[in-house]
Amino acid sequence: MNHQSHAGNTGQAHTNVLPVGLSFPLEVRVHGRGGQGGVTCAKLIATLYSQMGLQVQTFGDYGSERSGAPVQAYTRVDRVAIANRNKVYRADHLIVLDRSLMGPQVLSGAAPGALLLLNTGAGLDSYAGRYTNCRLGTVDATAIAREHGIGSNAVVIVNTTILGAYARLLGVPLAVLETAYASLGLSDDLAAAQHAYDAVQVRDVIRPAGDAPTTSVLSAEMPAVGPLTGHNVDCPPTLMTGAWSSQTPSYQDHDAPCNLACPAGNDVVGFVQALGRDGAEAALAILLRTQPLPSVCGRVCPAPCMQSCNRKSFDGAVNIRSLERWIADHSDLRPVQQAAERRRRIAVVGGGPAGLSAAYQLALHGHGVAIYEAGPALGGVLRSGIPAFRLPREALQRDLDRILALDIDVHCNSRLGSDDLRRLGDDYDATIVCIGFGPAFGLSIPGAELDGVEQGLAFLERVKCGPVSLQGQVLVVGGGNTAIDCARSALRCGATAVKLVYRRGREDMPAIDEEIEDAESEGVRLALYRQPVAFAGNGNVSSALLAEVEAGAPDASGRRRPVVTQRASSVTCDKVLLALGQGQDMDLLPSDWEIRKDRAWRGDQAEQTWFAGDCASGDGTVTHAIGNGRRVALAVLRSLNGEAGELPSGATGTVAPAQIRFSHFEVTPPHRDKQISPSARRVSFEESNLGLSGPEEAGRCFSCGHCTQCDTCLLYCPDGVIRRSGDGYRIDVNYCKGCGMCVAECPRSAMEMHEKTT
Amino acid sequence: MNEPMLGGMAQTALDRALPLLRPGNTNCGGCGMSSLLQMLGHAAADRTLQFVMPASCAAVCGGVFPLSTFGVPTLMTTFASGAAAASGAAAVAQLNGEDTRVVCLAGDGGTYDIGIASLSAAAERNEDILYICYDNEIYGNTGGQRSSATPAGAIATNLRQGKQQPKKDILAIIAAHRVPYAASISLAHADDAVRKMRVALDLRGFRFLLALSPCPTGWKSEPALGMELVRLAVRSGLFPVLEIFDGRRHVINIEPDFSDEALDMYLSLQRRFQRSGITAADLRPDLDQLWQNLRALSGRIVPARRSS
Amino acid sequence: MSAQLLSANHGAAMAATLAGRANREGRGFCGGVYPITPSTECMEFLCLQEIEKGRVVRTESEHSAMGVCIGASASGARAFTATSSNGLAYMAENCMAAANLRLPVVLAVANRTLGPPWNLWADHGDALMLRDLGLLQFFCADNQEVFDTVLCAFRLAEDPEVMMPAMVCMDGFILSHSVTMTEISDQEQVDRFLPLTTIPHQLGHTPHTLGQIEVPHQTEMHRQQHHAAMLGVPRVYEGVQDSFEAIFGRRPADAVQAYRADDAETLIVSMGTIGATVERAVTMLRAQGHRVGALRVRMFRPLPVAAIRKSFAGKKRIAVIDRNISLGLGGILWGEVRALAEPGTVVQNYLAGIGGGDVRPEHIVSVLADLLPRQVAGLPEMVEAV
Repeated sequence: MNHQSHAGNTGQAHTNVLPVGLSFPLEVRVHGRGGQGGVTCAKLIATLYSQMGLQVQTFGDYGSERSGAPVQAYTRVDRVAIANRNKVYRADHLIVLDRSLMGPQVLSGAAPGALLLLNTGAGLDSYAGRYTNCRLGTVDATAIAREHGIGSNAVVIVNTTILGAYARLLGVPLAVLETAYASLGLSDDLAAAQHAYDAVQVRDVIRPAGDAPTTSVLSAEMPAVGPLTGHNVDCPPTLMTGAWSSQTPSYQDHDAPCNLACPAGNDVVGFVQALGRDGAEAALAILLRTQPLPSVCGRVCPAPCMQSCNRKSFDGAVNIRSLERWIADHSDLRPVQQAAERRRRIAVVGGGPAGLSAAYQLALHGHGVAIYEAGPALGGVLRSGIPAFRLPREALQRDLDRILALDIDVHCNSRLGSDDLRRLGDDYDATIVCIGFGPAFGLSIPGAELDGVEQGLAFLERVKCGPVSLQGQVLVVGGGNTAIDCARSALRCGATAVKLVYRRGREDMPAIDEEIEDAESEGVRLALYRQPVAFAGNGNVSSALLAEVEAGAPDASGRRRPVVTQRASSVTCDKVLLALGQGQDMDLLPSDWEIRKDRAWRGDQAEQTWFAGDCASGDGTVTHAIGNGRRVALAVLRSLNGEAGELPSGATGTVAPAQIRFSHFEVTPPHRDKQISPSARRVSFEESNLGLSGPEEAGRCFSCGHCTQCDTCLLYCPDGVIRRSGDGYRIDVNYCKGCGMCVAECPRSAMEMHEKTT
Repeated sequence: MNEPMLGGMAQTALDRALPLLRPGNTNCGGCGMSSLLQMLGHAAADRTLQFVMPASCAAVCGGVFPLSTFGVPTLMTTFASGAAAASGAAAVAQLNGEDTRVVCLAGDGGTYDIGIASLSAAAERNEDILYICYDNEIYGNTGGQRSSATPAGAIATNLRQGKQQPKKDILAIIAAHRVPYAASISLAHADDAVRKMRVALDLRGFRFLLALSPCPTGWKSEPALGMELVRLAVRSGLFPVLEIFDGRRHVINIEPDFSDEALDMYLSLQRRFQRSGITAADLRPDLDQLWQNLRALSGRIVPARRSS
Repeated sequence: MSAQLLSANHGAAMAATLAGRANREGRGFCGGVYPITPSTECMEFLCLQEIEKGRVVRTESEHSAMGVCIGASASGARAFTATSSNGLAYMAENCMAAANLRLPVVLAVANRTLGPPWNLWADHGDALMLRDLGLLQFFCADNQEVFDTVLCAFRLAEDPEVMMPAMVCMDGFILSHSVTMTEISDQEQVDRFLPLTTIPHQLGHTPHTLGQIEVPHQTEMHRQQHHAAMLGVPRVYEGVQDSFEAIFGRRPADAVQAYRADDAETLIVSMGTIGATVERAVTMLRAQGHRVGALRVRMFRPLPVAAIRKSFAGKKRIAVIDRNISLGLGGILWGEVRALAEPGTVVQNYLAGIGGGDVRPEHIVSVLADLLPRQVAGLPEMVEAV
């Protein structure tokens, strides 16, 4: 398929002066790969010279191969008509569109002092000592063309770009290319040519005699050709098509949004996938790296992971919380305490979630830990503040038992003061204070002191300690989980009706959405955009005056500020439970200390006393407390070891929904938790949510950013160069053409495409 | 259950000793025909195959003498003779009691156009052939000229303004021969494709498979997006995926959602449709008609097109 | 052995049937056929025969008929087809493919004028159009010769040293439809004459490709090998004749058939049935005292150059009668053989029977009348019907 054509019939001859230093006949050879535009490149060169009033001839020397295969094209230039119709064997100018083509065949027969223009990502310096008999120009035309969007990602068309560099080497202004490009309809590419014109690096001939003597292609011996009638054996292909590609795929984990969203820092994808693949034990092993309280979090976590789940907009978020519960309920795995290089003794003040998490991490790393808990038992708010129908005592106890199996001393009923805190500094290598929130907020309104107006947390603790009996109408004030817990507990204590008063809208309620739904289904009624402005009663509260609230301008949190109006109405009530949140209370802190970045400082002196959980961060969820406790514990260890700075984040980029191939997945609605019927559960403190009936929900996890060996890449690789290997896959780079199909088809963004640099 | 349904499809104990299309072939990166051959390899497992190929990209990618890109004995024939030569090969296999599946692999040019006479005749004779057309909707081997498979709105190297006529309904033509099995396969739905390849491999008589085969070079699309393009064509209803048994019983295998969004995406991801500016709205009336016919043939109640 | 009253078309089909059956212990027989006047009878007859381990595929075109033969032959079977005129032209692409792939398909051609305008009658132009494609070409003059040559064509085409398709030509109607007694060999004899078909490069179990891309150098070499195999055919054919004679008790005609040529001063060269007419004319002319002889070129490809040159030696005048015309030059046979005569020999071309006209001895006599006075050759002369 040797196709010859005369190019350059572009009408009026250009009046450009000839570049200096050209001798005729001039022979140009372009080496490229199919798809890079080598033939058009030669044609453009012919057009260029034609404009200078010279005779030209150009033709491509095609192989039978396709996109990516080596192709040569020739341009011949002379002052007189050109009769020679042979290929170019002795090139004056060599233009190489792909540096992987460089070899003896390209250099063969190059005229002494030939111009060699090379498309390469490596700078001119990397060619020191090579091609010394040529005038060498290098330019990264691929990067430039890609930047200008010429061609596709897999097959970048570089011809028009590299010609900019060629013009520079010829010493002609770029403007001379304009007509040539216009004649072939390529004017859009002039910007890329300009870019290359500016970027090309040039080196003059160093040793005219050259490197090794170049051989002529004519001397190459032709291989013997067997007769067709003797051809009956298998001769596998020998072509290494891997050399064709400009980009190459690799397996690369990316951050799943659930992992990033988990305040505790759990490897959500890791444990969910492990559950589906290897069962609860394996999943728990992953959870226990970061999560000492899976039974608890599997029940009460607000699960921001589910909010950010990429499956949410497809067919519903994976029920991650309940999977965590399933795992915790179905494995007795105990974590293995590691041996510390240097064992530290660390005191943890407070046995709530943050304290437990900090203690757990420290013990896990082989350090001695003592917990000082003010209350009679560990657990903090988990023990006293979350009703049993949401978090049964046994569930908490399972987690506590697992934690306490590590080397941890527990001192309950030890409420510490500031002197104690100072003293701990002497007894321990470090102290972590995790005392949680301070007292609950009250209401400064008329009638707040009446009997029957009670703090919700106190009520919840009472309910947890023994049977509490209520009658009549109960009003709960607040919109958080404590408010919901109070409302639902009140129903169970015998209240006739429970009304929850909240000053914003339902969507603003901080409580877990499902909990609100459950409360409503049990009969709790919501009174939204209402705020009590007075309680009345004779000794015991008997009514509340509820003012209407309007949504004002958004505040710093983005929520609209409630504006209390003058419109109010009275409702009867026999009991008021306040769930308005808690403040931070640092009575414990010695007066000359202050907290900066989770750490106590006395003046400029950093103390080995740290703060974690709600008392430091005020995030207010168990999960945040766990994460915070862990991070502070690890920071303490680093500090004790004299290591500075933060832990490396290791972030690899979040997998956005757009990076998930939804089409690879079947629509499968989430597995819901089994619930006791609202009528049955509203009278019982038994756990109302029975969790999942099996671990199948794990199968819904997309495993965003993490390879599951689903074989999609293997199956869709057009060249079959991906094979399973060990725990993953192996790509045969000798044959991979870099089409990117595997990366594009990966359902979960666990692969990446890289430009080839070497 | 949630994973793509690929279990047991690739790299199994049944794998052929040699892939049907071996590494070192000269097809473009992201070639649909390459993907088809990979899947056919999985489907064929250890069955004995022989290829017959008329002039096509497949023929060219066969390698330079004496190399053989294909992992099975392969006969290259003239452009119009795919089905005829396959008839001869199949006849000899049958005479000799051999269980060889003779597979004729042809492009759309060799199927819809120059080869249709021999194809039709072989179908009518119910020759024991599996005929697979990888339809990239152009003469890809010669650089991308119009064929009767080129869809409306697409340009070609010999067609400046975008084709006016819709593509030929080759599946209906083949079905009209009442052959035992004719099906269109979506390469983007590997489970469906491989299943039907197996059905086609194991039936006797004339079997026909039609695959929409992305051609990044001719479609002027990103090589990596080939499968996604097929998926969009299937989703939008542009490429119906169905099986036809004995030319009579029609079974629609994949329900499209008929979304204009998918169709517009399909068009916009290929530069071949750019110049004509054709849109989903332009194509929809024809597609509605096509599907109405298919519904009637498949005996299914016509579902309402999803309103957007 | 039995003598049957058969047309040459039927004789060719009978030979193919016997040859097909003879391969029943091998990979069998497969034909692809399509009707066209005047070769239709051949395919009809073939289709009505019972061939153990054989199948005749009734295709939709001559192109596909040869396509089927290519597929069958590449799979190791013995393959046969028959056609004429436009059918051959339509088949040409696949004839070339079969030749280039070195597949020993045998093809019976009832020669007919190419059209349109439509003309059903004999002309060698159809077969000669395929002259350069690498098929063996034989032109026959009688029914027995057609039968024998088809058998020999299988033997020759499948010879490991030859391995290429063969075409056996008979003048349309004049021979294809003329019915005479033909000696039809027994199956047992044919079995002995034709070894089981063995195609060394047939598709088997190893994954090898037949007909993939070649680069110029490879094609050059393959053409050279094909050409060399062609050049060896006259020698191989002599062995085939010997073997044929030993089994069937009669010797098939030579590559070039001479009649009273040794002592002739004037030689009349022709192909096909005109050759028989020429022999009759020579007998008449000899009786009138003319030292004239006849030479019938039976094997046109490869052209038996040595044998022709030998026959031409010492002749004063040679008339080459062509039932064909390469427009712009003249008769094709003349174009090929004129250089084989010694210097000084007058080699004059006569075009006769083009478009199927009946060539009678009178025509030959008029040819001689025109030739004898010539001291130098002129332009090709059209022999007008007398």
